[in-house]
Amino acid sequence: MALLEARGLTVTYGGVRANDAINLDCAAGALVGLIGPNGAGKTTFIDAITGFTPTSEGSVTFDGRDITRAGPSARARAGLTRTFQSLELFEDLTVRDNLLAAAEWPAWHALFIDVIAPRRRAARAADRVDQILDMMDLTDLADRLPAELSHGRRRLISVARAFAADPQLVLLDEPAAGLDTDESRALGVLLRKVVDGGMTLLLVDHDMGLVLDVCDHINVIDFGSVIASAPPAAIRNDRAVIEAYLGTRHKDGDQ
Amino acid sequence: MTDYLFFLLLGSAAGAIIAGFGLGLLITHQGSGVVNFAFGAMATWAGYVYADLRRGAYPFPIPGLPERYHFAQDVGFWPAMLLAMLTAAALGLLVHLVIFRPLTQAPALANIVASIGLVIVIISLIDRRFADNAGLRVGPILPREPVTIMADVTVPRDGLWLAALVIAIAAALWVIQRFTRLGLVIRAAAENEKGAVLLGYSPALLAAATFVGASVLGAFIVIMASPMIQLSSTVFTFAFLIPALGAAMVGRFRSIWPTVVTGLAIGMVQSSFTKLQGDFSWFPQYGARDGLPFIIIIGAMILLGERLPDRSAVSTWKLPAVPAAKVNALTVVVPIATAAVALLLLGPLWRGAIMTSLIGIVLSLSLVVLTGFGGQTSLAQMAFAGVAGFTLSKLAIEWNVPFPIAPILASLVAMVFGVIVGLPALRVRGTNLAIVTLAGGVAITEFVFKNPKYVGDVSTGGAQIPNPELFGWDLGLILGDQASRPIFGIFLLVIASILALAVSNIRRSSSGRRMLATRSNERAASAAGIDVARVKLQVFAVSSFIAGLGGCLIAYRFGSVSESSFGTIASLTVLAVAYLGGITCVSGAVTAGLLATSGVAFYGLTQATGSVGQWEALIGGVLLIVMAVANPEGIAGGIRARLAARSSAGVIV
Repeated sequence: MALLEARGLTVTYGGVRANDAINLDCAAGALVGLIGPNGAGKTTFIDAITGFTPTSEGSVTFDGRDITRAGPSARARAGLTRTFQSLELFEDLTVRDNLLAAAEWPAWHALFIDVIAPRRRAARAADRVDQILDMMDLTDLADRLPAELSHGRRRLISVARAFAADPQLVLLDEPAAGLDTDESRALGVLLRKVVDGGMTLLLVDHDMGLVLDVCDHINVIDFGSVIASAPPAAIRNDRAVIEAYLGTRHKDGDQ
Repeated sequence: MTDYLFFLLLGSAAGAIIAGFGLGLLITHQGSGVVNFAFGAMATWAGYVYADLRRGAYPFPIPGLPERYHFAQDVGFWPAMLLAMLTAAALGLLVHLVIFRPLTQAPALANIVASIGLVIVIISLIDRRFADNAGLRVGPILPREPVTIMADVTVPRDGLWLAALVIAIAAALWVIQRFTRLGLVIRAAAENEKGAVLLGYSPALLAAATFVGASVLGAFIVIMASPMIQLSSTVFTFAFLIPALGAAMVGRFRSIWPTVVTGLAIGMVQSSFTKLQGDFSWFPQYGARDGLPFIIIIGAMILLGERLPDRSAVSTWKLPAVPAAKVNALTVVVPIATAAVALLLLGPLWRGAIMTSLIGIVLSLSLVVLTGFGGQTSLAQMAFAGVAGFTLSKLAIEWNVPFPIAPILASLVAMVFGVIVGLPALRVRGTNLAIVTLAGGVAITEFVFKNPKYVGDVSTGGAQIPNPELFGWDLGLILGDQASRPIFGIFLLVIASILALAVSNIRRSSSGRRMLATRSNERAASAAGIDVARVKLQVFAVSSFIAGLGGCLIAYRFGSVSESSFGTIASLTVLAVAYLGGITCVSGAVTAGLLATSGVAFYGLTQATGSVGQWEALIGGVLLIVMAVANPEGIAGGIRARLAARSSAGVIV
């Protein structure tokens, strides 16, 4: 049984079926790609899986539990986190605090202890954050505010924050957008490393080089439906995929 | 049943005022995106101008100038009306140009603070210029011979006339809104300012026009109503403004008819409460009138929720940056030691000013947690303080609960009220939340503070409070023939210091991180596993608990509690001063405490300049506006920004 199973997942906005009966699995420990032309419904899918948009039909099972009705924060605490295309960093917090805020989930009564002993923090969360900062080469910037940093660094921080809570599955919404080729390649290496460390990733991106290079398995959606689901090598030559991206070949073409 | 019809009709005047004010708020919001909390106050000034002209004088609003220009006698209805309307138009334009236009890009909270400043200025102006008799009586304007609607139902005609006038105005506005190009452009600008620019209209001009129009409308309503409802500096400023905010919310600050119908209904239903109270013993004797707008506002929030317009929420509801807390010898020991020495060595007047400032610090700290860390707004902070004050009296006098336990329990009661008023924060934010808490605070004031059952007999000084006593030590301000004991100042200092440290601890802790994460970005916070609803309620709970402690300190200081210390204006002032000091950090709260009315800064200024005396409130209000416009992020924020610019830390990595 896969870590994440979406079955018949349907999201409608008014009359538009942004996601139409999508079936999609993420096997534990895999780096799964999700690609498709603009407006295909990729971000809607991430929103539906993470509880940011209500689904009208279908179910989402995560780690054997049905989470279709759970709210976003409950899903995050169950081990399912995400990044946003628009980053959505905590602009008032330093880089380290951005990660810490996501890494620690104290009980509500922790407030009483915080009033007296503020610096006491869960050592596990702090260690984990230090580890991630180190792994992503952000340690030098730990005490800076996000607004002071370049776009590429900010994108990395949003990814780091999604990793901070040591989740089982992270949905990455275009983490390479706006990165240059070198940065994008470095990101690919990093994602691979994270997956080899045991985490499962779902990668949505327009950088085909990146997706085809690093993913174990790729799903392609168009007009809200899955049109292909195969390893990268097969996706490269899949007719439906090529048509979705390049348009239908002329009927009397070179067949 | 005919009795009820009588009371409903009798309420038509109040309903018309509420509906008319609702329309004014709607117009202003459509044109400028501003919810003008000073709308009622502006209209009230014009009402006073009219009343004064009918006595043969025109009041000048500027201190230092002659008080008024005297005509030989009553100038007559039309000249008085014309001059009053011109005054209202000029005031609307001035307010737009000087206050709200410079604040277009400022945090929405700066807008609220500036309008609070304006309310304070106008109220104190009225109190100065009409010090002899603020309750001016105006001769009849509208026909008022009683009219018999049906057998046994005979009511004065003028209320019905006023309602008819407001309905006619609403119809005219509706025609403008629906069928003219101006209406179209204003609606377009309300949706999207850039759109209006592309159509070739200046949003600034539209905003100015709507400010002038709304101000004239408000003035007209107040003048027409003034023969029926005696003028006073607060009745139109708040008593009618809050239900009008409710009516405008039902109309989503956009639709004319729902606003008018709700406004009329509120006034008429409120009037029938008089009858209900007589007929049914279970009907609450206090608070029902002011509870009604609160319930309507809450209802509008729940039903309309996301669809309520809040332009500011999208683009400009940003708050000042939050600096890291610096806790070291310099920031902790030096200020506390200075205050302690000053309390022990200086005379009773200085000591009094320091005590006022210390209590101001505690109240400001409650807003640092709420607004600075949590990003929420409350215009009911003094109501929470008052709940604690009155509870303290009950606990200490009737149940003999001893000192440290009684104020803590009392503050926990305030906390319950805080969480209840904060519940709507789960659905709304920004200016809309400000409106809910304003209405909630007024409901608490009327329902609790004016009810003799809870607050004791006002004529005997209200509810009594015994001196705090610890291990046999009396910490009270007054004991026997000692009228200003320094030990009470030290007591305040200890409490304020503990709370300041607690608040900066919250800032540095995981709880504080989650508050700031929620403040920064609710979507991202919930994606990171933060329970946003819990954090918001936590913020309201902590904040109202601290405010409650502040209320207990006020109670201990005066030895009794009465409604006047905890009114709506006090709540607004506390928020405004806290914002000016710098609402995001403990040092800002300390600055705010020093700036508080009758606090150290004011007392020092009075000592230095002779006497600010009777203009104190007015100068305070003007300063509030000036500083809100000049430093939209607060004084502490402004200083920080300047320091940061100097060290040019903006290096991009």
